[in-house]
Amino acid sequence: MLHVSLVHAKEGAFTYGGDDMNGEVPMKTPLHHEHEKLNAKMVDFHGWEMPVWYTGIKEEHMAVRSHAGLFDVSHMGEIEVKGEMAVPFLDHLLTRDITSMNQGRALYTFLLNEKGGIIDDLFISCMEPGSSYLLCVNSANKDRDYEWMVAQNTKGAIVEDVSDLYAMIALQGPASGQILKTCLAFDLALVNPHTFAVIDTKDYGGLIISRTGYTGAGGVEIFLSPQTASLLWQSFLASGATPCGLGARDTLRLEMGYPLHGNDITEAVTPLEAGLSFAVDFKKKDDFIGKQALLDQQRLGIKRRLVGMEVLDRGIPREGCMCFRDDREVGFVTSGSISPVKGTGIALGYVDGSVKEGDELYIRVRDKLLRSRIKRPPFVNGTLP
Amino acid sequence: MNIPDGLYYTKDHEWAKIENGKVRMGVTDYAQHELGDIVFVDLKPVGAKVNKGDSVGTIESVKAVSEVYTPLPGSIIEANPDLETNPELVNQDCYGKGWMVVIAVISTGEISGLMDAAAYKEYLAKEAK
Repeated sequence: MLHVSLVHAKEGAFTYGGDDMNGEVPMKTPLHHEHEKLNAKMVDFHGWEMPVWYTGIKEEHMAVRSHAGLFDVSHMGEIEVKGEMAVPFLDHLLTRDITSMNQGRALYTFLLNEKGGIIDDLFISCMEPGSSYLLCVNSANKDRDYEWMVAQNTKGAIVEDVSDLYAMIALQGPASGQILKTCLAFDLALVNPHTFAVIDTKDYGGLIISRTGYTGAGGVEIFLSPQTASLLWQSFLASGATPCGLGARDTLRLEMGYPLHGNDITEAVTPLEAGLSFAVDFKKKDDFIGKQALLDQQRLGIKRRLVGMEVLDRGIPREGCMCFRDDREVGFVTSGSISPVKGTGIALGYVDGSVKEGDELYIRVRDKLLRSRIKRPPFVNGTLP
Repeated sequence: MNIPDGLYYTKDHEWAKIENGKVRMGVTDYAQHELGDIVFVDLKPVGAKVNKGDSVGTIESVKAVSEVYTPLPGSIIEANPDLETNPELVNQDCYGKGWMVVIAVISTGEISGLMDAAAYKEYLAKEAK
């Protein structure tokens, strides 16, 4: 029976090469030893050996919703853009207005191709207005992102892959503030959502503490030196944070309806189709790559949209399941799982533009049709990071 | 790893037990551990005829989906009704309350082709390498 296919880590038609290990030695994060100590179940995630869970996905998921969870997200890529041409380059490259970013601001934005397709979704942090920016990108896309950026860099900005310089720890959940106070004497109230602080510590060196996350439970993501990451990890653990794997990370983000690149958004879809136009600034002064394609698509009409679906029957939708309405195929699931909070199936997927919020449809799972309803995420109540 | 004596084991990590000429089956401790939190069990209905190697049901954890295959042909005469509301019984008690189906088999003789506890333990040790 055991042909365990991990939905999250599997190679899909949408993902880029490099997923397959091809017998290569897996990459390990600076916290790998900590995962071994905790006896985590490790899986291959786009070439990285990562914890999928420690004790169990449900328990870890609930720990984040009710208290605090700790994630090793050091596999994420970091790309630095510097120099006096940084802003004109980034403003052309990304969908948000980079010119107006102040020091300490973090913005969710897209790297689009000429057709408006999403090469990656990322957070950009303004380290030094006008001259220094840090992009945090998906690990599976990092090399593709970097190549694309270098190819687009006709203006002479300094673009550097600095992923090896950073470990990254996410501390998420309502108790994050208390734990930061205990471990770092840091007051979370000093940072607004989607901003960050840079602090110097005796024990851990310099920390970038960013009030961002992928769980909808509040908390921070911390960039720090690979050398001190274990020490901070241990400190958070000792203060009551629950270690959480990629499994809980995936169910948490799905409950909030946050898209996962490679599944819900790909180079074949645009932010308009994905319902993510809030992260596209059409009004900014300079054109950005893909803008014309998005405007054309807006004019011609959007034929399919990424929506949330909650399952009313008993069953769990999975990536690739087809959706039907009045015996007609109207879409497909791009991410599906069970909501640990609700105990029911939830999904993200693309459906015909004619399908509206509140409409019912059927998701085919193996030989069964699960009655489901279109629901704008989040599927559960979340909080700001 | 809990591998009780007196049961028979498959390479796909199902267990089978002879009870009054019938076969009760489920998944092993190794299987439930590998799958993680089991959140959904969907069994074939009572009365269904199954051939050797057919699926008797599907079990799903948060991240994984697996079929459960019968090592012997026959017909399903019981399907654990508790797993519909409490699929986590498979994690908690895979050889007891987490059983899946009882199959009326034509002959129990074929079960001797499966591994006993000692052989399964050895098989797991090899598989882990």
